[in-house]
Amino acid sequence: MYPLTKLYAQKMLRQKLIYIFFACFFTASFFYAFLISTPQMEELLNINIGIVGGKNFPEFMMRFYVGTVGILFHVFLLTLFICEEDRGKMLYQPLLHGESRSRLLRSKTCVAVSMSMLFVLVTAVINYTTAFMRWGYKIFETSAVIRTAAKYLLSGIYMSCITLGMIALCICTRNTLKTILFVIVYMLIDSLIYSSHIIFLQKIWIGYYFNLWTFSYEYQKIPLKEMLPGIFVMALYGMLFYQISLCRTKKTDF
Amino acid sequence: MEKVITVQNLRKAYKKETAVDNVCFELMPGNIMGLLGTNGAGKTTTLKMITNLCSKDKGKIVIDDISLDTNPGLALKKVGAALDTPGFYQELTARENIECFARLYQNIPKGQVMELLDYVGLGFQTEKKVKKFSLGMKQRLALARAMLGQPKLIILDEPANGLDPQGQIELYRLICDMAKEKKTTFIVSSHQLYDVEKFCTDILILDKGKSILQGKTEEILSETTNIVDCILEETEAFPHVLSHFQGISLTSQKGNQFTVKLESICLDEFIKKLIESNLHIRYLSVRKHSLQDLFLKLTGGAAQCIH
Repeated sequence: MYPLTKLYAQKMLRQKLIYIFFACFFTASFFYAFLISTPQMEELLNINIGIVGGKNFPEFMMRFYVGTVGILFHVFLLTLFICEEDRGKMLYQPLLHGESRSRLLRSKTCVAVSMSMLFVLVTAVINYTTAFMRWGYKIFETSAVIRTAAKYLLSGIYMSCITLGMIALCICTRNTLKTILFVIVYMLIDSLIYSSHIIFLQKIWIGYYFNLWTFSYEYQKIPLKEMLPGIFVMALYGMLFYQISLCRTKKTDF
Repeated sequence: MEKVITVQNLRKAYKKETAVDNVCFELMPGNIMGLLGTNGAGKTTTLKMITNLCSKDKGKIVIDDISLDTNPGLALKKVGAALDTPGFYQELTARENIECFARLYQNIPKGQVMELLDYVGLGFQTEKKVKKFSLGMKQRLALARAMLGQPKLIILDEPANGLDPQGQIELYRLICDMAKEKKTTFIVSSHQLYDVEKFCTDILILDKGKSILQGKTEEILSETTNIVDCILEETEAFPHVLSHFQGISLTSQKGNQFTVKLESICLDEFIKKLIESNLHIRYLSVRKHSLQDLFLKLTGGAAQCIH
């Protein structure tokens, strides 16, 4: 691994926020798995345990992670990783030791995107563990496992793309609060667009496909024809976000 | 001898305001240049342009024969810098912080990090977390980080900030030793004019982004005027006698106490002339314009300066 990338990976893994978040997520997943199966909670939440529990529980929890808490967790983590480093006069330090600006961005991006994929995997492990503790071997029904694995993979792609967007935001605003606000606004717009009927806008909107995969195909297999356009749009957004970050990084006066 | 750094016609403007305008200088191995100026004079911008942290609008920077425009990565491998308030990973120890950056170099021996920490006086604090460091200790750590990879040029932005008087003396001694022994070139921006005068070989004074004075410290200071305070037996004849001398001007008189400025005449000559004019000297002392006097005069603060 390139030394700067290794340095950033170590720096990222030292963030206590990651361990606190996943400890909380595990606790939430554990309690959710055991709580939602009680008759009182089923009635209170108006859910059918036969649908959200058992083999479907990992998918149910994945949506909870990628749709809301995961995005907020990522934006906090990335602002610490970029904006706060910039504020603490640490972001430019590698440039004083012979590293180029593009290399600096590449290393940051590489670590952030890898972490976003890794975190999706960690949530999968947590959700399967708690589901196994509650429902036992029943959760490992082959078709459900394959379907859920595909959804986790697609969520990983979505999270990577969102991470690239957040990096671009961090670099452009160079401000923690502004970045977090922009991401919250994105989340609001995202749900508005998904529930709207503006088909053209939906087709080019990055978050639409994630919502399509998780809501329209809830606990169902996603057909390939619905996967590919989404992956294509996300790849385009990813490239665009990276180019914006690169241009901005090259022009930034520290 | 090859120049370590050559800066030509450096210019930077922010919107309508010119931060740095037409700054030029060059330094040889072992030179220590004091970069002086009031707040907002363009010192930090100049240093940031040299380290490529800030883009320049015009000009050329060549470090050890490598142009910063064509090969910034290689050029900056020859430079170590500690700019702004030094930033570190607060949760890491001093050793870990330096090791993080040492990994960015290919050929740094394992023991060098400890040697560097020892060298800057942090040998007994290596395992202490940086968040517990005082500003002075952080300045020392920043110097250690700047020394990684044995750069030919080290740039320090107000390194004495936060250091106690003893720490300042040690820092300047360290810089002088490195310049002498290792032939490392330094650019040091500072507000400690008295210290700059003592340890810098070269001086560059910026005002509103423009270079208003530059050259060798010795030459600059030798060109400045002497101020003579004297008490004479004869009070009435002295002003009359002075009017016949060129290069001497009377700046104040209080009874038989006179203060004169020697502009283009040396002290020996002045005393000789007094004796020739039969003036009896009771007391005489000489003051030299310091760098501080000169700085204040050039940057518009002269009124507060000499008298």
